[in-house]
Amino acid sequence: MSDEIRFTLDGEGMTARTGQSIAGALIAGGAMSWRRTRFDDRPRGVFCGIGACFDCLITVNGEANVRACLAQVREGDRVERQEGTGYGE
Amino acid sequence: MASDCDVAVIGAGAAGVAASVVAARSGCRVTLIDVGDRPGGQYYRGADLSPSPRAGVDYPALAGDLDRLVAAHAVDYRPRTTAYALERAGQRLLVRTRGDDRHRQDVDIIGAGTVILATGAFDRPLPFPGWTLPGVMTGGGAQSLVKGQHVLPGRRIVVAGTGPFLLAVAATLLEHGAEVAAVVEANDPVVGSVRQLRGLTSGLGKAGDLGRFIAALARHRVPYLRRHRIVEALGEDRVTGVRIARVDADWHPIPGTERVLECDAVSVGFGFVAQLDLAAQLGARMIRGADGGLAVEVDDDQATSVPGLLAAGETTGIGGVEAARVEGLVAGATAAVLSDHASALTPSALERVRRQVARWRRFAAGLHATFPVRDGWVDSVREDSLVCRCEEVPVSRVREAVALGARDARTVKLLSRAGMGWCQGRMCAAAVDGLCGFDDIASLQGASYRPVSVPVPLGALAAEPVEG
Ligand SMILES: Cc1cc2nc3c(=O)[nH]c(=O)nc-3n(C[C@H](O)[C@H](O)[C@H](O)COP(=O)(O)OP(=O)(O)OC[C@H]3O[C@@H](n4cnc5c(N)ncnc54)[C@H](O)[C@@H]3O)c2cc1C
Ligand code: FES
Repeated sequence: MSDEIRFTLDGEGMTARTGQSIAGALIAGGAMSWRRTRFDDRPRGVFCGIGACFDCLITVNGEANVRACLAQVREGDRVERQEGTGYGE
Repeated sequence: MASDCDVAVIGAGAAGVAASVVAARSGCRVTLIDVGDRPGGQYYRGADLSPSPRAGVDYPALAGDLDRLVAAHAVDYRPRTTAYALERAGQRLLVRTRGDDRHRQDVDIIGAGTVILATGAFDRPLPFPGWTLPGVMTGGGAQSLVKGQHVLPGRRIVVAGTGPFLLAVAATLLEHGAEVAAVVEANDPVVGSVRQLRGLTSGLGKAGDLGRFIAALARHRVPYLRRHRIVEALGEDRVTGVRIARVDADWHPIPGTERVLECDAVSVGFGFVAQLDLAAQLGARMIRGADGGLAVEVDDDQATSVPGLLAAGETTGIGGVEAARVEGLVAGATAAVLSDHASALTPSALERVRRQVARWRRFAAGLHATFPVRDGWVDSVREDSLVCRCEEVPVSRVREAVALGARDARTVKLLSRAGMGWCQGRMCAAAVDGLCGFDDIASLQGASYRPVSVPVPLGALAAEPVEG
């Protein structure tokens, strides 16, 4: 498939296919985790893949706690890894 | 911001698609709400199906019908939409919806005479040390990445848990070029022969699926390790291997049988849990399904104990994609009658479909008897293993809550915080119930009650219900 979408992960350029989820694009790009937990500071990524577990939360264009497994990538998205609650607390 | 219909169908999997098509073809105004961006649910995931050669009630025919009904505005199809609350307003039911995480503010309230709950299920995981490491995911999670995103979660993958679904996951991974290090099955299903397994599981997917899975495993020489379990996932910042052990008939690891399998991803699953939030909000009567999990009680017409609320598919008990489809057909016919329309299914067709429902349900019961979750995991799980992923609560803290006198799921939750996080207990409730020995319906139902099923903007919650 040729329709490539460009976005960034913490400022670094990444690509996705049209219709791909953020999680799909990140894993295709070699990232397995993009969130650290609030108590034990442990890495997390995709677990359920269907929006039920909320482990894949990520910040998109400043909005925290977006489920990466459901949200589709859009051209120019600024995606950022998330720490703790996602609100910088 | 408010709309109205005869029949609101929640979930566009096999059950919801079948129900929508029958109701709309009977003349009902149907609104179909689904989280996904294309119809199909967890099994079909918007797959491009070869067009069905003839009209009928198999899934490809129904999917084609749905496309035409949507184009003709007979079905108001709302993809990327979550139904987060269900409430009563006089004779009618109100479905509150929200857009996806990037459109949280897009809210609506849909009034309907009849609501069909077809929200499917999610995987049932059980905890072990390391199950929160990146690279460890549910079987459904692996399926969704590979089938939905065309992305492999790793190069060398261990598939573990119990049930024929493990074989489906392994086959998908192999077909897409991954190496499957082993299929680790905690039960011992193949007492007789592969043929017996095939008989038992042909109802799970489409006919012929299982033969294909087994052939793929044989071709790639993937070990099928029966009576084995993962005791620990290894790795620092992502999974690098699993420690597995042989287990006895009750799933206790047998000392001295441990060994390590190297891998860069793990798929785990012990069956599925029905998505019942919306049914619980209306107080629909629940039963324990054949797999021991909670399910909505329905009669032969797929009607729940709540007037106007029907249910079909995995919500009425985990039964696989064919059971979901035929139950959806029945629910659509019932909804037509409740909306004073003549059902598009003739009485003889409906009779045939009802017999199929009974047959697939029998199949599912046989399956669950072969692949149950056995008690041994409870006293062999390590105390420091997290049970609640969201609030990072270890097994030991759940046990402390019981020691402090907690006797129901709600109290355990309040004392331990297990189930209080983002997922609202979806991923840990089954495990917590197992750890505490809770198995009565009231306790299980308490844990499945969620006032809203996803986080919603405050403004949306404040909106007054409209009278329908
Ligand atoms: C992740 C996953 C992958 C699976 N993969 C397979 C497989 O490959 N092979 C197989 O044989 N079985 C698979 N299963 C088992 C599957 O549950 C059934 O085979 C089949 O999909 C059941 O059909 P259904 O219509 O009951 O539910 P589903 O197909 O699950 O459809 C339910 C639909 O409802 C939507 N939904 C849920 N809650 C809401 C809500 N509140 N608002 C709006 N929409 C909602 C969901 O997004 C989904 O599209 C899988 C299950 C899961 C959880
Ligand atoms: S992986 Fe579970 S919600 Fe995204």
